[in-house]
Amino acid sequence: MSNEVNLEKILSFVVDTYMVEIDEIPLDESLIDEGIIDSFGLIELASFLEKAFLIPITDTDLTRDNFGSINKMIALVDRKKSNA
Amino acid sequence: MLNNIERCSKCIQSKNFPKIKFDENGVCNFCNKASKSTEIEASLIDNAKIKISDLFDNKVKSGEYDAVVCYSGGKDSTYVLKLAVEKYGLNVLAFTLDNGYIAEAAWKNIRKVVDGLGVDHWVYRPGSGNYKAIARASAVTDVYRKNTLTRISAICNSCISMVNITALKIALEKKIPFILAGFTLGQIPINAIIYKNHYKFLADSRKESLDKLRKEVGDVVDDYLCIKDELINEVKEYPHNVNILCVEDITETEIKDAIAPLGWVSPGDVDGCSSNCMLNTFNNYVHEEVFGYNPYEMELSHLIREGLMTRTEALGKINDRPVEQIEPIMASLSIEKNDIIAVKNVYDSKP
Repeated sequence: MSNEVNLEKILSFVVDTYMVEIDEIPLDESLIDEGIIDSFGLIELASFLEKAFLIPITDTDLTRDNFGSINKMIALVDRKKSNA
Repeated sequence: MLNNIERCSKCIQSKNFPKIKFDENGVCNFCNKASKSTEIEASLIDNAKIKISDLFDNKVKSGEYDAVVCYSGGKDSTYVLKLAVEKYGLNVLAFTLDNGYIAEAAWKNIRKVVDGLGVDHWVYRPGSGNYKAIARASAVTDVYRKNTLTRISAICNSCISMVNITALKIALEKKIPFILAGFTLGQIPINAIIYKNHYKFLADSRKESLDKLRKEVGDVVDDYLCIKDELINEVKEYPHNVNILCVEDITETEIKDAIAPLGWVSPGDVDGCSSNCMLNTFNNYVHEEVFGYNPYEMELSHLIREGLMTRTEALGKINDRPVEQIEPIMASLSIEKNDIIAVKNVYDSKP
């Protein structure tokens, strides 16, 4: 699956779940800092990535480095898929 | 009060709810979206049921208790306590945060239920002045982002954060693997039925509101809403939060019937949306004044869509409010009408 498809999947989830328009979602900023998600949003996103991309998200993956922006989440998915 | 406000013709979400749109039949976009996603939701709930069974069946007992149950004394957490003990066979520690506003009838329920189920019970009462200062700051300053408050009032959010953090402290200190609470779908998202309560990961999402609370109240907020590094740095595995009520297909009447044999009765001195806390009417009043909609709209609308409540019942619940309690509560929190107008202006000035 290409990064473009992964991006589309994640953006579609964020639009559907958090009542934002696609052009309001920054790719390189934290969704928390932008006020788009709260703590439940982080939990939901981690669960969504696991189910949508069939990858295991472990405790050590739960960091700002991996969830600090849409592009960081795509990079996490990419790494997990490559290591599978 | 929002008696005559335009609402969805199927649920009770009103025209002031963020991002709401009505179609030509007066049906909101949330109802239209929900009718398309029911199948996905059903599959997520089925998966959650399997995972809950797996987690409880394979629990590794490292301490005295299997689960800490956040027990407010309301009908939902009473039912969760009953399920934990009788359906899942867990050895639980019930925990109640006494915020000073729990109705007397609710305390009677709490005592009857914990005795009836034979569970240990731990009550934690924050210092009254500190609790009131945090509640006041939550109500009259923009502590939380607008999107955090779509399904909960600001004071309830601070109070529930206090409950969650205290429950996590108890679980970590006593090595309890599960934290249970009386949340229903509508109050929490479907992907949050089961999750690891990873304090460090979630700390990022709490930083802004904690900083604002510290500015208003002082560092004392850390005693109630943070966990000390000494405890967190020793954590090898965080407990799971498991919201078992979310996988039960049950109506409010069925819940009340199920807990009645334990001696639980509906308290008469709270509003239609709460079965334990006397702050609720005031909290909803502030939310309506500031944002123009009731914080229970989303939760009750979810129950309507699931066929677990009628629209008439839901409207009855949000309109059932002992308004005579509002002024005394405002006085007890040192809040004046102008404080509420001021915070409304702050939120109105934000996108």
